[in-house]
Amino acid sequence: MKESPYWNPRHETMPRDQIEALQVRKLKNVVAWAEARVPWQAKRLKAVGVSAESIKSLKDLQRIPLMTRDEWMQAQLEQPPYGPLLAAPESAAIRYHLTSGTTGRIPLQVLDSMKDWEWIAEMWCYGFWGFGVRPPDIVFFAFSYGTFVGFWGAHYACEKIGCLVLPGGNMTTEARVKQILTMKASVVCSTPTYALRMAQEAKTMGVDLAGSAVKRLILSGEPAGSIPATKRLIEEEWGAKAADTAGMTEVGTIMVFECEKQPGGTHIIEDHYIEEVVDPETGQPVGYGELGERLITSFGRGFIPVLRYRTRDLVVRVPASGCTCGRTFDLYEGGIRGRVDDMKLVRGTNVYPRAVESIVREFKEIDEFRIHLYTAEGRQDEIEVLVEIPARDGANPDRIIAELGKSLSQAHEGLRFGVKKVENGSLPRFELKAKRLQDDRIVIGTAGERRVTA
Amino acid sequence: MKNAMGVELSDAERTLVECYQGLVRVLKNGTDLAPFERRNALKAVAALWQVVNGLDLDPGHLYEIGA
Repeated sequence: MKESPYWNPRHETMPRDQIEALQVRKLKNVVAWAEARVPWQAKRLKAVGVSAESIKSLKDLQRIPLMTRDEWMQAQLEQPPYGPLLAAPESAAIRYHLTSGTTGRIPLQVLDSMKDWEWIAEMWCYGFWGFGVRPPDIVFFAFSYGTFVGFWGAHYACEKIGCLVLPGGNMTTEARVKQILTMKASVVCSTPTYALRMAQEAKTMGVDLAGSAVKRLILSGEPAGSIPATKRLIEEEWGAKAADTAGMTEVGTIMVFECEKQPGGTHIIEDHYIEEVVDPETGQPVGYGELGERLITSFGRGFIPVLRYRTRDLVVRVPASGCTCGRTFDLYEGGIRGRVDDMKLVRGTNVYPRAVESIVREFKEIDEFRIHLYTAEGRQDEIEVLVEIPARDGANPDRIIAELGKSLSQAHEGLRFGVKKVENGSLPRFELKAKRLQDDRIVIGTAGERRVTA
Repeated sequence: MKNAMGVELSDAERTLVECYQGLVRVLKNGTDLAPFERRNALKAVAALWQVVNGLDLDPGHLYEIGA
């Protein structure tokens, strides 16, 4: 029998009407489960007149109230540690994880049972299998294996697929590069930022990564995995194909993955989730091709039912026909485009860190960068990009600084960007989610207020 | 045997579903299982749940039996 390119061939190639029928059935199930087992959810559903029996089509989904991270955090603060969101007794759990802490005051704490944990790996299998990872592969995880769920599910997915798994926790970057080479890893999993960091380290070590056994990189944890310039740079440095994936602790695993055809976007795992895209201001649905905020409803983790959760991720949904792989799962073109709250307003111009990164990565000579916002002379917002340009490959810092400043300005309605070269190694390096934006602007009404108002 | 979408399951798929159902039955009723029997059966049922779920048979949840 010919091996399927799909993890679940029946579901991944289902006609749209059947996908929707499946989603309606599973939505009824998850609403019934939440009503029966989570009084906190039952109260919210009852308040708007939603019951499992009342759900007849996907349109009924819109009657379910949106759930926010603030509500989740508040519920945990009021009833620590998990809040009144659990649908099963704590004693049924085998795993505990936390959000990574990039948003919000306190991390969200979650539990999973044996079945849920297996499901978490199952979602990663869609991604790994879909990108061509197979049993003979040797998979290296550049991941710290802590309480952040990160690549944990991916690790178990690779075991399930039958790969040889190399858990690269608690290692220096140099040690990781060495192990990738000596063990002849064929697949490497990391954040996009850390994939570039390992490539830099390899250069320092005098190692040609492009000549290594690595054929595929699975990226996650940051939007950069779908930024064309960043991805191109990673693929060039490693001499390998790179696939983007995206997940979140709130559902425990990934909800989108890039297939082997690399269509410039990520497929939504539509048999396990309902993903909606809405206007972040109004909450109203937006159509195919329009930028909006993702909402997620998960059919997987039963321990904490998640209904219409506001992710704050910005996406552009397009039909499955945007990819030639044969899957009928829709795509997020360009992956996760950023966060609703990422956007910075600088002298009337919208600045998205992702857009800045996509331009910075056009300059291969730049190893690391930081976006810095500050208030000049107590009254004017300024933006500068700090860059590290190591002296190699005949790099000409003056030319790079001038060209980068010009490119950034042209892409931002003429907004003036300062570009400064900083000492090599002075900017922070990241293994998990990179935080490259520092906003030191003075906000009127704060203790540091110095704006001239006259 | 048809799934919730009205699709007839193959013989091999039906066998997997029956394995799952058998394990659930044993774990619900089998009070005299040794630790190695119960815990390994729970691991197996958690994995087979993914199969039954992927085959559209709405397997529900397994928290009451410890999976």
